[in-house]
Amino acid sequence: MFEEASEVLENMLKWSLPLSLVLFLVLLRAEAAHEFSVYRMQQYDLQGQTYGSRNAILNTEARTVEAEVLSRRCVMMRLADFSYEKYQKALQQSAGAVVIILPQNMSTMPQDIVQQFMELEPELLATETIVPVYFALEDEELLSIYTQTQISSSSQGSSSAAEVLLHTATANGFQMVTSGAQSKAVSDWAITSLEGRLTGAGEDLPTIVLVAHYDSFGVAPWLSYGADSNGSGVAILLELARLFSRLYSYKRSHAGYNLLFFLSGGGKFNYQGTKRWLEDNLDHTDSSLLQDNVAFVLCLDTLGNSDNLYLHVSKPPKEGSPQHILLKELETVVAHQHPELKFSMVHKKINLADDTLAWEHERFGIRRLPAFTLSHLESHRSPARHSIMDKRPHVDLTKLSRNTKVIAETLARVIYNLTEKGVSGDLEIFTEQMQVQEDQLASLLDWLTAQPRAAQLLDKDSSIVHTLEYYLNHYLKDVKRHLVRADKRDPEFVFYDQLKQTMNAYRVKPAIFDLLLAFCIASYLGVLYLAIQNFGLLYSFLRRVTSPRVKQH
Amino acid sequence: MTLFHFGNCVSLAYFPYFITYKCSGLSEYNAFWRCVQAGATYLFVQLCKMLFLATFFPTWEGAVGVYDFVGEFMKATVDLADLLGLHLVMSRNAGKGEYKIMVAAMGWATAELIMSRCIPFWVGARGIEFDWKYIQMSFDSNISLVHYIAMAAVVWMFTRYDLPKSFRLPVTILLGLCVYKGFLMELFVHVFLLGSWTALLVKAVLTGAISLCSLFLFVTLVHSN
Repeated sequence: MFEEASEVLENMLKWSLPLSLVLFLVLLRAEAAHEFSVYRMQQYDLQGQTYGSRNAILNTEARTVEAEVLSRRCVMMRLADFSYEKYQKALQQSAGAVVIILPQNMSTMPQDIVQQFMELEPELLATETIVPVYFALEDEELLSIYTQTQISSSSQGSSSAAEVLLHTATANGFQMVTSGAQSKAVSDWAITSLEGRLTGAGEDLPTIVLVAHYDSFGVAPWLSYGADSNGSGVAILLELARLFSRLYSYKRSHAGYNLLFFLSGGGKFNYQGTKRWLEDNLDHTDSSLLQDNVAFVLCLDTLGNSDNLYLHVSKPPKEGSPQHILLKELETVVAHQHPELKFSMVHKKINLADDTLAWEHERFGIRRLPAFTLSHLESHRSPARHSIMDKRPHVDLTKLSRNTKVIAETLARVIYNLTEKGVSGDLEIFTEQMQVQEDQLASLLDWLTAQPRAAQLLDKDSSIVHTLEYYLNHYLKDVKRHLVRADKRDPEFVFYDQLKQTMNAYRVKPAIFDLLLAFCIASYLGVLYLAIQNFGLLYSFLRRVTSPRVKQH
Repeated sequence: MTLFHFGNCVSLAYFPYFITYKCSGLSEYNAFWRCVQAGATYLFVQLCKMLFLATFFPTWEGAVGVYDFVGEFMKATVDLADLLGLHLVMSRNAGKGEYKIMVAAMGWATAELIMSRCIPFWVGARGIEFDWKYIQMSFDSNISLVHYIAMAAVVWMFTRYDLPKSFRLPVTILLGLCVYKGFLMELFVHVFLLGSWTALLVKAVLTGAISLCSLFLFVTLVHSN
């Protein structure tokens, strides 16, 4: 048979070979059991110090934490079962990867778990690891994959050898594969900051600077929405810009102070935007509002909740200075108009030996500009400032609008010198047509929290930057962009890419299963061979059955 | 070990064909080239059927999940062309009845195996993902082999001039069953909501029944002289 076969095939192959080559060269991808987006943990260098998860690519089997052997496997954990010890265990056994599954809707999680995770986030980032850590949002299929993996992982340490053998031969495993390359540093990333001003009435006027950083931070950049920190600060700043531009547009209420508004980028990365802006304005420019008379700088950071208000300073203000006036006015406004608010000043010296600065005002303090930060958080180390759990529900709109009003009233009292003129602390300026618009704040906040605002995701062409610029242009004059690029030789910050990838989960069977199947197929074929060989028996049987009938004819 | 799995599926599908070819004594009659010709006829007939279906049958625009009985029935009727094709192959071969049947059936079934199974195996069984459907496809091709042998035998019997009157009816019924077997299978799966392995079992039983009946009739016919 083979000789004829070969001669026939020779004729056929002459024209079919090119065709078959093309066909077999096309390596089509098989469909996966499940495909989902995964968001990688932060990876960045700040001032030479590396943080976060180094690696990105992945092609390993899935296991849950209960399994004995975790090395070179992808460890899957749910948020509800997450604990730092389990995470450490996975890292110590040099797991291939860790995937933390977060629920779609955080509000379904009990508060203590959320709180515990928020406190763990900085610790996760502090340990630099080569294991890629991913976060995925849970859906039905992912949950079923997790439960199946859990069942097979937890039964590995059990019972007899035969059971284990049977189990390993027939178990349904999952292979997790990510598409995408190894992570590498993004070159030439530009952090954008925006400034705008309202010029006062007169010449040689003092300047008040209002600052808020618009980026957010969390353990996974694509999941950091930063509602309270610092979406609330940005919303307040924009609302203040609107109110004061309205005041300044009337000749009678045109105050004798210049107002400079600054939306800084890279705030969570040691206030890079602010740092470079100060350098450019104070060192490289001949004349700038910052070089002349600066009354004070007020930084807004996390003001969307709670009934506490803290004014953070690095040096207690001297009597009679503009800073002292601000402090006094704040106390007056709070005492007379919002007694439920607990206000206090927090004094913290600038510690240059720390890796990162505490609050944004410290950047100004280093350059000898008097500055404060206003926040509802008492400590800069509070986990609420760097969490992925910081989403829209974390901001209480009424408290946000109350805080906006407090700041607006205080600033008005300062720029119009109301206390000196003897105006009582009960007088509210921002009412009726000038009132703080809650709807405006709400829509700003909704827009800000609709997409992640991590510094690595906002380059100078991003829609958020454009929209902020457009908004500022609407109310302020001389709106300018300010770009920060890392220094080539000694970069202050380095960002890495591959922060969002697609992971495929393939259903696989262990290798022994293939051998088992081959064995079964071989025995089936053997039986078939015997059956066909002895087909004659069936034939003669049927013949014998039919022949008596024939004989009767 | 997914190439191994691919090998498993291919051997499960192809080996019975190989064994049948060897053991039926076709190799002694230099029948390889004739089998290839039968395969070519299969390709031609499938092409004609596809053109016919595409031209004359509109796409089903009804609700998803509702099974279009009449439409599928009409489509199955087009499979009568298979019978014509088999008849054509057999009439061109000179020789004993058994020889003609085996050559036609082997060529036809092998062509179907290559055309409809090679690519799914290459693409699917070789991938990382495991699915039982590839093993099921291999079993299905085994069943098809038996089915085509039975179908060729029935066609041969139908065209014999010396077929006794009493055999006309059973042969016609068997012929009809052969053509509409696919339609019947889909009907069963839809009405009884069978699982994939159960459907395979039902298909095997049905094919077994058809082939036994046709074998019985064949033996009676051949040895009644």
